[in-house]
Amino acid sequence: MKMSRALTWPLVILWNALFWTYDRATWQYDLMVIAILAFVWLTPPTWLGDPTASGEGLVGWVLTLIN
Amino acid sequence: MTFTGAIGALCMFPLSALISASVALRVHPNVLTFVGVLINILAAWALALGRFTLAGTIMIVANIFDFIDGKVAEQLELGSAFGGFWDSVMDRFSDISLFIGLIYLYAQLGRTDYVMITALAMMFSVLTSYTRARAESLIVKCKVGFMERPERIVLFMIGAFTNRMAAVLLVIGVLSILTVADRIIYTWRELNHGQAATLT
Repeated sequence: MKMSRALTWPLVILWNALFWTYDRATWQYDLMVIAILAFVWLTPPTWLGDPTASGEGLVGWVLTLIN
Repeated sequence: MTFTGAIGALCMFPLSALISASVALRVHPNVLTFVGVLINILAAWALALGRFTLAGTIMIVANIFDFIDGKVAEQLELGSAFGGFWDSVMDRFSDISLFIGLIYLYAQLGRTDYVMITALAMMFSVLTSYTRARAESLIVKCKVGFMERPERIVLFMIGAFTNRMAAVLLVIGVLSILTVADRIIYTWRELNHGQAATLT
C-alpha cells in the first residue's frame, strides 16, 4: 500500500504541474517561477543555439571553471 | 505573503499614483489601451533591430498603460462590455507585434529554426486566449494553464533585459502548448462530465 502511494506521488506532482490549476501568488506558482527562471538564466545559450545571447550563462561559467 | 505576491504589492505603489493622475485628468480608459498598443509596436521595432534593453524598457512603459486602463475604467465608472472587448483585441495586437519583431530579427540573422520556434510560440499564445474565450461561451470559467498574458509579458521583459530571448521563447512555446491542451481537456471534461480534471 505504502509502496504504491510512493509510486503514485511523482505522477500526481507531474500531472498537477502539467494540468495547471493553481492561482498566482501560491507556493506552487512561486515554485514554477523559480524553475522557469532557473532554466532561462542557468542554461548556457550555446546549448540552445541562442542567436543573440552573449556569454555562457551561469552553468557554462561553472563548467568552464571545473574544466 | 508569497514571493511573487510581494513583488506585485511593491509594483502597485508607483502605479497607484499613475492611476490617480489618469483619473484626475479623466483620461478615457480605451485611449490608455490604444496608447499601450502603439508603445508596444515601438517595442516590437526595437526587438526587430536586436536592441533588447531598449525593447524591454519600452515594454515596461507600454504595459503600465495596459495595466492601469482597467483600474481607471473602474474608478471613473466607465467600464463597459465594449471596453473589455477592445482591451482583449488590443492585447492580441500587442502580443503578435512583439513576436513579429522577433521573427523579423531571426529572419535577418538567417536563423530559420528560431523563426519557426517564435512562430509556434506566437500561434499557441493566440490559441491560449482563443481557447479560453471560446470555452467560456460554453462553460462558466476556463482559467486553467500556467502561461497567460501577464506571465508571457514578464518573460519577454526578462528575456530582453538579460539577453536570454531564445530560452524565453522556448518556455513560452512549451508552456503555451500545455496551456492550450489544459483548456481543451478542461472544457471537454466540463461539457461531458461537469467536473474539472483534478488529481489530489
